[in-house]
Amino acid sequence: MSSLAVHLDGITKRFPGVVANDDVDLRVPEGSVHALLGENGAGKTTLMNVLYGLYQPTEGVVRLNGEAKTFSSPRDAIDAGVGMIHQHFMLVDPMTVTENVVLGNEPRKWGGLGVDRAASRRAVVDLAEKYGFDVDPDARIEDVSVGEQQRVEILKALYRGADVLILDEPTAVLTPQEVEELFAVFEELTAQGKTIIFISHKLDEAMRAADDITVLRDGLNVGTVDADATSREELAELMVGREVLMDVDKDAASRGARSLSVSNLTVRDDRDVLAVDDVSFDVHEGEVFGIAGVDGNGQSQLVEAITGLRDPEAGSVSFDGEDVTHDSRRSRIARGMAYIPEDRQERGLVMDYDLVENGLLGNQHDPAFAPNGRIDWEGTYGHVTDVIEEYDVRPADPSASARSLSGGNQQKFIVGREFSQEPDVVVASHPTRGVDIGSVEFIHERLLELRARGTGVLLVSSKLDEVQSLSDRLAVLHDGAFVDVVDPATTTEEELGLLMGGERVGTVDAAPPRGDDA
Amino acid sequence: MTEDEPPARDARADGGDAGDGDRTDVEAGEDVERTDVDAGEMPSWSESAASRIVTASAKERVFISVAAFVASVLVGSVLVYVSGFLVDCPGGGFLGSCYNPFLVYYYLFVDPFIGGFNVALVMKESVLLLFTGLSVAVAFRAGLFNIGSQGQLVLGALATALALIFVAPYAPGGVLGSLVLVPFALFVGAAVGGLYGAIPGALKAYADANEVITTIMLNFVATNLVFFLISAYFQDPESGSVQTVAIPEAARLRPIVPFFEGAQFSVVALALGLGLVGGTFYVLANTAFGFDLRTSGLQAAAADYAGVDSNKLVVSSMTLSGALAGVGGAVYVMMVMARYRTGIPSLGFDGITVSILAGNNPLGVAPAALLFGVMKAGSLSIDFSLGVPKQLVGVLRGLVILFVAMPEFFRMLARYTPYGPDVDRAVATDGGDDDG
Repeated sequence: MSSLAVHLDGITKRFPGVVANDDVDLRVPEGSVHALLGENGAGKTTLMNVLYGLYQPTEGVVRLNGEAKTFSSPRDAIDAGVGMIHQHFMLVDPMTVTENVVLGNEPRKWGGLGVDRAASRRAVVDLAEKYGFDVDPDARIEDVSVGEQQRVEILKALYRGADVLILDEPTAVLTPQEVEELFAVFEELTAQGKTIIFISHKLDEAMRAADDITVLRDGLNVGTVDADATSREELAELMVGREVLMDVDKDAASRGARSLSVSNLTVRDDRDVLAVDDVSFDVHEGEVFGIAGVDGNGQSQLVEAITGLRDPEAGSVSFDGEDVTHDSRRSRIARGMAYIPEDRQERGLVMDYDLVENGLLGNQHDPAFAPNGRIDWEGTYGHVTDVIEEYDVRPADPSASARSLSGGNQQKFIVGREFSQEPDVVVASHPTRGVDIGSVEFIHERLLELRARGTGVLLVSSKLDEVQSLSDRLAVLHDGAFVDVVDPATTTEEELGLLMGGERVGTVDAAPPRGDDA
Repeated sequence: MTEDEPPARDARADGGDAGDGDRTDVEAGEDVERTDVDAGEMPSWSESAASRIVTASAKERVFISVAAFVASVLVGSVLVYVSGFLVDCPGGGFLGSCYNPFLVYYYLFVDPFIGGFNVALVMKESVLLLFTGLSVAVAFRAGLFNIGSQGQLVLGALATALALIFVAPYAPGGVLGSLVLVPFALFVGAAVGGLYGAIPGALKAYADANEVITTIMLNFVATNLVFFLISAYFQDPESGSVQTVAIPEAARLRPIVPFFEGAQFSVVALALGLGLVGGTFYVLANTAFGFDLRTSGLQAAAADYAGVDSNKLVVSSMTLSGALAGVGGAVYVMMVMARYRTGIPSLGFDGITVSILAGNNPLGVAPAALLFGVMKAGSLSIDFSLGVPKQLVGVLRGLVILFVAMPEFFRMLARYTPYGPDVDRAVATDGGDDDG
C-alpha cells in the first residue's frame, strides 16, 4: 500500500454550472499501467489536468508517493515528476529529435551562454537506450512517423525527470502496429519503475495494456477493476450505465444501381503534393463502401474532391450517372449529397452559432428552410428540435451554442442534421471519431438504416473495427492509392493492418510481422 | 418585422456577434453570478479582467460599456482639472484650476441636447455616421476589414452631385421633383459606391489581395480622382474652391420639421438611415444571404462546407458595404453641401470606430453614431462657450471612444487568439475534441 505513486484523494472539480469531477478517488501503484476509461465528457481529461497542475481541485488532495502536493501550474507538477503527453504533440517540426527533447532544459556550456549539443545528443541517446526506444536523435520531427513523434514526447517527459507519465488518448493517431510498439514501450517503462496513466475510450486497448482500469462516468468514479479479470461487456456497461450491443447486426446488402462513381481521380493537397493518385471506385445504392487507412494517406483530399470542397487535378466524379466533377458544393448539396466532415469544429459546425443556426448550415438555400431567400426560423427551430430529440443531443436545447456541447454531442447533431435530409448518397468521414460507445452504436444503426433504404454510403474511417463491421466492400488507402479492395468479412485485422502499411495481403507470409521488432 | 419568429430568436437579435450572447447565457445560466465563480475557479490568465470581457454576455457587455464610459469621464475630468493649472486665467476659475471639468462635460454631453440648433447639429453628424457605420459593420460581419468606406462615400457623393446636375434641366420642380430626384440620387450613390467597393472585393477574391491594403490605397485614388475630375471638367466657375455647381433645389433634403429650421439636417435622411439600420439587421439575421455572410465571417471553412461560394460572397458583401457608404455620400451631398465640394470630413474612418463601438451589430450602429454626433456637437459648443482648447476636447473624446470601444475591440481580437471564447471548452467537455 505504501507504494502508491499517485493517489488522487476525493478530487472534486467544479466549473461554473458543471461538476467535472465529483469526489473521485484514483490509486495507482508504482510501476503499473492504469487506464482511465470513460465516454466523452466523463471528466477524464479534467482529472488528469488536475494531476498535471493545469487545474486546481475545488476539493480533494493530490498525493504523490504518499505526500500531499499542491500544484499551481504544470511547472510544479513537472518538478514533482509528473509528465503529460497530450493528444496533439507539442513538438517543433523543423527541429531535430534531440533539440525537441532538450528544448527549454538544454545542457549549457561556456558558462551558460551556449547550448552543449554534444551533451544534449548524448543525453537523448542514453535515455533512448535505457528504455529501448527506437528513435533517431538527428532526424527532424517533420520527417519521422507519428509513432516516433510520440516516443519523442515520452522521451521529453523522461528527460525532465518524470516518474509518472500521463498520456491523453495515445493511440488515436497510430496504426495497429504502432499501437503494439507503444504498448511494448509501456512495458519497458514500468519494468524500470515508471508509472503510466493513459486516457482512452477504447475498451480493448485498456484491457490489453493496463494493469488496472478506472471507469469514469459523469465525473464519478464508477469502478476500478483488474484488467485481467474484467470483460468488454462489463466495461461497456460501466461506461455507458446500461447494456451495450457490441456487435453490429446487418442484413445482406441489396445492391442497386451505381450511385457515386469516382474514376481516375487525382488530387493535390494544399502544399501541392500529390495526395490522391489515380483512384477509381463505385458506390452502389444500398451499399456501404468503406475506405480504411492511417490518417493522412489522402483520405481528406479524396473526400474533399468528392464533396466539392477541392478541385481535383484529373479524373471525374459522377453522381447518379451525371458528371459533377466541376459542380459547386452548393449544387452537390442540392442534389442530395450528405456529408459528415472529419473536422466537426472547423467545418461541420459554426462554434459560435446556436443549434438552430447550425441546423440551417448547408440548408440555407433549400426552399424548405428559406423560401425565396427568407429564412424560416420557426420551421428551422422545429426541425432542429426534432433532430435533437431523435439523435439524443444533449443538452436538448436548440438555443445552446455548438461550443457548449461535448464532442460526442456535436457529432450526433451533425449526423442528425445530415441524415434527416433524406440524402441519396452519404459521404461519412470518421463519423464516430471521438464519440462515446453509446453514440457510436446509435450512429452505426442510422448508417445501416440509410443503407437499407437504398442510400449509397461512402465511409472513411481510421477505426478498423468500424469500417470492417459496416462496410460491404472495403478499400485500403495508402499513400494516396488503393492498396487493395477486400471483402471485410473474410479479411483479418492483421491483414488489414499490413495493407494499411502499404503491403499487399499476398506478401503476408514473406514479410516479418512488424509488431515483433519493437 | 420579426413577429413571426419564435421567442428563441430574440436572443440572437441582441447579439452583435450572433450566437455569442446566447452562448454564455446557456453555459452560465445566470450571467452575473458567472463572473464571480469564474474568477475563483479558472487558472492563471483566465482570472484576468481580459477573459471576463471576452466571455461576457449581452447584459454584461452593456454594463461594461456604461462602466467604461464613467471611467473615461473620471480620467478625463482629472486631466482637464490638472491642465487648468498650466494656463493663466483671470479670476482663478474652478478650485484654482482654469478649467472646470463639470462645465466641460456639461457642454460635451448635455448642451448638445438643448435647443433646436444644437439638436439638429447632433442629428446631422449622427445620421451621416449611420451610413458609414453600417458599411463597415457589414464588411466586418463578413470577416472583411473595409477601410475604404471613405473612398466609396467620396465617389458616391461626387457621382450623385454630377448626376443631379446633369438631370436638373429635365426634372420637374417642387414636391414631384423631390420624389423623383431623391430616390434617383440615392440609387446613383449606392451604385457607384457599391461598384467602388466591389473592386477591392474582386481583388481579394480572385487575386488574393489583402482588402486592408487595397481599400486604403483606393481611398487615395478616390480623393485625388475626384479632385482632378472637378478641377478639370466640373469646376463651378463662380467659386474659388474646388467644387461643382449647386444641385437642383428639388433634390435638397430639407429639415421639414420646423424645430430644425435652418439646419443641415433632414428628418427624411434620419428615416432613411434608421430604415437602413433595420434593413441591414433584417438581411443579416433573416435571409440566406445574411446567413452566408455571417457564417463566412465567423468560420470560413464551415461556410465552404455549407456551400457558400467564398469568392462571390467576398465580392457581394464588399459591394453591399460600398453601396451603404455610397448612400452616405449621396445624403451628404443632398443634405449638407447641396453640391460637391472637396474636403469631405472623415466620415468613413469614423464609421470604423462607430462599427467597433457597436460590436458590428447594425442595431448598435444607431446609438454608437449618436454618441459620436453628440460629442462632435459638444466640442463645437465648448469651443464657443469655454476657453478650453480644441485639442484638449479632442483628447476627451478620444478617451471616451477608447474606453468604450476597447472591450468590444478585444472581443473581436479574441476570436483570432487562443484566448478566445474557447477557454470554456474545458468546462463542458473532456475528450470533447478527442482525435479531431
